[in-house]
Amino acid sequence: MTVTAVSPAISAPARLWSGFRSLPLAMRCGMAILALHVFVAMLGLLWTPYPYDAIGTGVGATGMSWQHPFGLDQLGRDVLSRVMYASHIVLYMGLLGTLFGMFFGTILGLLSALIGGWFDAILQRFFEAMISIPFLILGLIAISAAGPRLASNPTLIALVVGIVFLPRVARIARAAGLQVVTRDYVTAARLRGESYPAIVLQEVLPNCAGPLLVELALRAGYAPVLIGSFGFLGFGVRAPMPEWGLMLSENRDLIMITPITTIGPGLALATLVFGLNLFTDGLARYLDRAGLTTAR
Amino acid sequence: MNKQLVAMDMNITNSVEIDDFSLDYFIGANGWVRILREVGLSIGRGEVLGLVGESGCGKSSLAYNLLGYRAGNSRIPSGRLMVGQTDVGRLDRAALDKVRGRRVALVPQNPTTALSPHLRIRSQLAEVLVEHGYATETTAIEARLKELLFLVGLTDTDRILQSYPYELSGGQQQRIVIAMALSCDPEVLVLDEPTTGLDVTTQGQIVRLLAMLKRRIGLAMLYVTHDLNLLSQIADRVVVMYAGSVVETAPTATLFAAPGHPYTRGLIGSIPNIRQTARGGLRLQGILRRSEIGAGCPFAARCQYRQPLCEARHPESVAIAVKHDVACHFWRDLPAFDPVPERLDARRGAAGKGEVVLEVEHLAISYKRVELLGRWLGRTRQPVVKDVSLRVRRGEIVSLVGESGSGKSTIAKAITGMIDHVAGSVTYGGSVDLGMLRSRPVEVLREIQYVFQNPDESLNPRRTVGAALARPISRFRKGLSAGERQELIVEALREVQLDESYVHRYPGQLSGGERQRVAIARGLVAQPKLLLCDEILSALDVSVQAKVIDVLLDLKKQGEIAMLFISHDLSVVRAISDRVVVLYKGTIMEEGPTDAIYQPPYHPYTHMLLNAVPEPGRVSAEGEPAGEPPRLDPAGCVFANRCLWKKGTVCDSAVPPMRQAGDLRIRCHHDLATLSELATWQNGERQAGAR
Repeated sequence: MTVTAVSPAISAPARLWSGFRSLPLAMRCGMAILALHVFVAMLGLLWTPYPYDAIGTGVGATGMSWQHPFGLDQLGRDVLSRVMYASHIVLYMGLLGTLFGMFFGTILGLLSALIGGWFDAILQRFFEAMISIPFLILGLIAISAAGPRLASNPTLIALVVGIVFLPRVARIARAAGLQVVTRDYVTAARLRGESYPAIVLQEVLPNCAGPLLVELALRAGYAPVLIGSFGFLGFGVRAPMPEWGLMLSENRDLIMITPITTIGPGLALATLVFGLNLFTDGLARYLDRAGLTTAR
Repeated sequence: MNKQLVAMDMNITNSVEIDDFSLDYFIGANGWVRILREVGLSIGRGEVLGLVGESGCGKSSLAYNLLGYRAGNSRIPSGRLMVGQTDVGRLDRAALDKVRGRRVALVPQNPTTALSPHLRIRSQLAEVLVEHGYATETTAIEARLKELLFLVGLTDTDRILQSYPYELSGGQQQRIVIAMALSCDPEVLVLDEPTTGLDVTTQGQIVRLLAMLKRRIGLAMLYVTHDLNLLSQIADRVVVMYAGSVVETAPTATLFAAPGHPYTRGLIGSIPNIRQTARGGLRLQGILRRSEIGAGCPFAARCQYRQPLCEARHPESVAIAVKHDVACHFWRDLPAFDPVPERLDARRGAAGKGEVVLEVEHLAISYKRVELLGRWLGRTRQPVVKDVSLRVRRGEIVSLVGESGSGKSTIAKAITGMIDHVAGSVTYGGSVDLGMLRSRPVEVLREIQYVFQNPDESLNPRRTVGAALARPISRFRKGLSAGERQELIVEALREVQLDESYVHRYPGQLSGGERQRVAIARGLVAQPKLLLCDEILSALDVSVQAKVIDVLLDLKKQGEIAMLFISHDLSVVRAISDRVVVLYKGTIMEEGPTDAIYQPPYHPYTHMLLNAVPEPGRVSAEGEPAGEPPRLDPAGCVFANRCLWKKGTVCDSAVPPMRQAGDLRIRCHHDLATLSELATWQNGERQAGAR
C-alpha cells in the first residue's frame, strides 16, 4: 500500500516528529498504549519474573503481593509472568490473522468490484453465506476440520481468525472498489487490455487505501477479542501455553477468592483493544482530514 | 474626465454598487491570500452586467459575496457591497435571511443539483414564497406559482407543478430555478454560469428567456460566465476580471469592437468561432497562476506588450472613453485591435488522403437486454444508435456532433469495444473486424487510443504523470530499457507542450488543461493510429482549449494519426475537422466535408444547432418554441417533432431518404434546392429582424 507523501524533503526525523505531533490526540494515545504492549510482549519473550509454566512458585490461589502482583493461580503459577508471556502469542495470532483476512479479503473484494457480473454475484452470495454463520461456530468448524494434531497451533488459530474476517473485509473492499472502478483511469487501463490483477494493484488499490487502512485497524482491534473468546471456550491454544482468554477461563473459579487473577489477563486484553480502537478512531479522522477516505 | 460626476449620477439608480472591494482567503501555509483586489463595479436597474474571466480569477467569489455568502476562512479587508442602501458584506445571519432570496437571488450553475430531487416542484417553489412571507394563503401562493411559470415560459403549469425534478428536461429545470429566483421580485439576480452544461439549443432558449425578463421586469442581473460570446447576446456591459482584479469595463459592443486591455484582446482572440478559427497572433499565452503574480500588473507574466513598469506597479483603472475603463499602464501604446481572421483551411491543412483506418457500417447499438418480465409486457430493446456509417482516413479529423443523448459517445464506446453492437460492422485497418475488448489482439489495443472527457477523472490521482505514461509503454512496447522508456515519456510530454519537470508531479498539482494534455500524451506514447477524443475540450477554459487544439492540429499535420473527435461545440468542430457527421437520436442527419456542412443547404437540425451558437454582433433568431416537443411518430423522421421546416404529414409517416450532392449527404424529405432556399430565406428574415 503506497500512500506517497507529496511534501518536500526536510530532515527525516524532524518530519516524523512534526508528523506525529499533527496527528489527532486519540491516535497518539492509542499509539502510546500499543507501544507499551509491544514492549511488554518483547520483554515477556526474553524475561519474565518466573517461568510461565513453573508450578508452585508460591501458595496457590493467593492474591496480590510484591512477589506476585497479579497473584497466583490454582497451580501456584505466577499470573503476571503468564500474562507477559502470553502477550507475544496474542499479538502474533492477532496480527497474522488480521493480515491474512485483510490480504485475501481485499484482493477478492476488489476483483469482485472490478470484474462484476457472474463472478461478483457468486462470490458475494458465498461471502454472505459465510457471514450468516456465527463466527464462533465458523471457528469451531474450521478448528475441528483441521484435526486434533493442529488443534492448539497458534498459526491455525490465526488462520481461523483470518477466515472469519475475510468475507467481512471483502465486502468493505468491494464497496470501496465500486466507487473507483467507474473512474476513467480504470476504464483507460481496461482499454489497454491489462489483466484484472494488474488493474487492481496499479489503479484500484491505491485509491481505496483510506477505507482499507481504517478497516485494517478496526479488524486488528476485533482480533484479540475473538482469540480470547476461542481461548475462553477452549478452542484456542492449550495449557500450559498461556493465552489471556484461556487464563480467564482457567481462573474463573477463583474470581470470588482472588479476583486479581482474572482481572490481570482481562486488563491486558482490555487495554490492547482500547489502544487499537483509539488508534483506529484517530486514523479514520486523520485520513478524513487528509482527504484519503474518499477516493477522488 | 468628469468621472466623479458620472458616478454620482449613477448612484441614484444603481441596484448594485461594489466599491473598492477586497477579499482574502486564509490558506494553510500561505496565511492570508488576496483573492479579490479593490474591485469596483455597478449595475443599474434593468441592466445586465456580464462578469467574465478564466477559472480561478475570483468571479464566483465575487458573485457569492454579493449574496452575503462567504467561506469561513475569508475576510473583507476593505470595501462595500451595496445592494440598494444595504451593505451585504456587513450583515449578520438574521439580516442576511431578509436579503437573500428576497432582494438578491441566485441562479446556480447546475439545475439538477439545485433542485431537491424528492420534492415536487410546487412545494419547492412555494417554500420560497412562504419563507419570505411573500404569499401565505394557499390561493395566493397558487396564483403566484402559475404567474411565475408563465413568466419563465412554461405553459403546462398544472403538470409541471405536480412533477418531480427528474421528470423535467434540463432546460425546464433551469427555467424552474429561474422562476424560484424570481419568486419574491428581487432587485438583483446573480447568475452563475446558468447555461454551462446545457445543450446549445437549450442554452439559446434560456438566454432568450433572460433577455425577455430583462425587458419585462427590469431587474439588475450579474451574469457570471467564462463564455464571452454568450455575453454578447445578453449583457449591456461587461466586466473582465483577471486574478482578482478588474482589468476592463466596457459596454458590450465596445468591448468586442475595441478591447482596451491586452488580456481582453487575448480572450476575444482565443475564442474559436463558427465563422473563423482563433486569431493566431492574438491568442492568450500561458495560464493563470496566482503564484506568479507579483506587486505589479497581475497580467504582466502573460502579456506580450510587457514593459518594466508593468512588473513594478499595479495599474490604476483609467477611463479611456465614456463608460470604458481599462487597468493598463500602456493602453495608449497598444496597436489598434485588428482581428485578422485566419483562413480556416490554413491552419487545418489539407484533408488526409490516406487509407481508411476505421470503417463503421450500418452500426446499430442498444443498451441492456430486455428482462423476461419486460418481454412479456411487450417491451423491446430501445436502439440508441441506428444505421450509422462513417469512415476515418489516416491524417484526417472526423467530428461527431449532436446534442446530449444523440449517441455520439455510444458510438465511440462501441469502437473501443466497451459495449457491443447489435447490427452492422466496425472494421479497422481495412480488414480487422472489431469485436468486444477482450477479443482484440494487443496490437489493435495499442493502435486505438481513447481520450476521456473529464481530465479530473482520467488520471489516477495517486500516480505521478511519469507513472501514468509508463503504463502504456510497459504494456505495449515491451523490451525497452529504463532509459529508453524515460526518453519516450519526455518525448510524449513535449508533443503536448509540457516539459520534463512534469514527470514527478501528481495530477492534483496540475491545472485542468495540463491534465488533459497529459491524458492525450498517455494516448500518444502508445503510438496510436486512431485517436478517439470524447468531448475533450468541454471542461476547459478558452485559452486552454486553444492550446489543446494546437496540439491536435500539430498531430494532424504529421499525418500519421486518424482522429474521431466528439463534440457539441460547433465552433471548435469547424476549427479542426475535415469532415463532420451530425447526429440526432442515434441517426445521421447530415454528413460531409466541414465547409459544406457550415454552408447551405443545411439539414433543418444542423441549421437549428448553428443558429443557437452565440456569436458577437448577431442576434440569435427565434428558435424552437419552449416546452416539451409534441409526441414523435416512430414511423417517420426522428426530428419531425422539433423541425421548424417540416414539410408535412410525410415527415411523420415515412423515414426520409438520404440525399446526396457530391460529398455531402442530408437525410430529409425536402430536396437540396429547397433546403438551400429555406436557409437563405430564414437568414434574410433574421437580418431584417435585427435591424
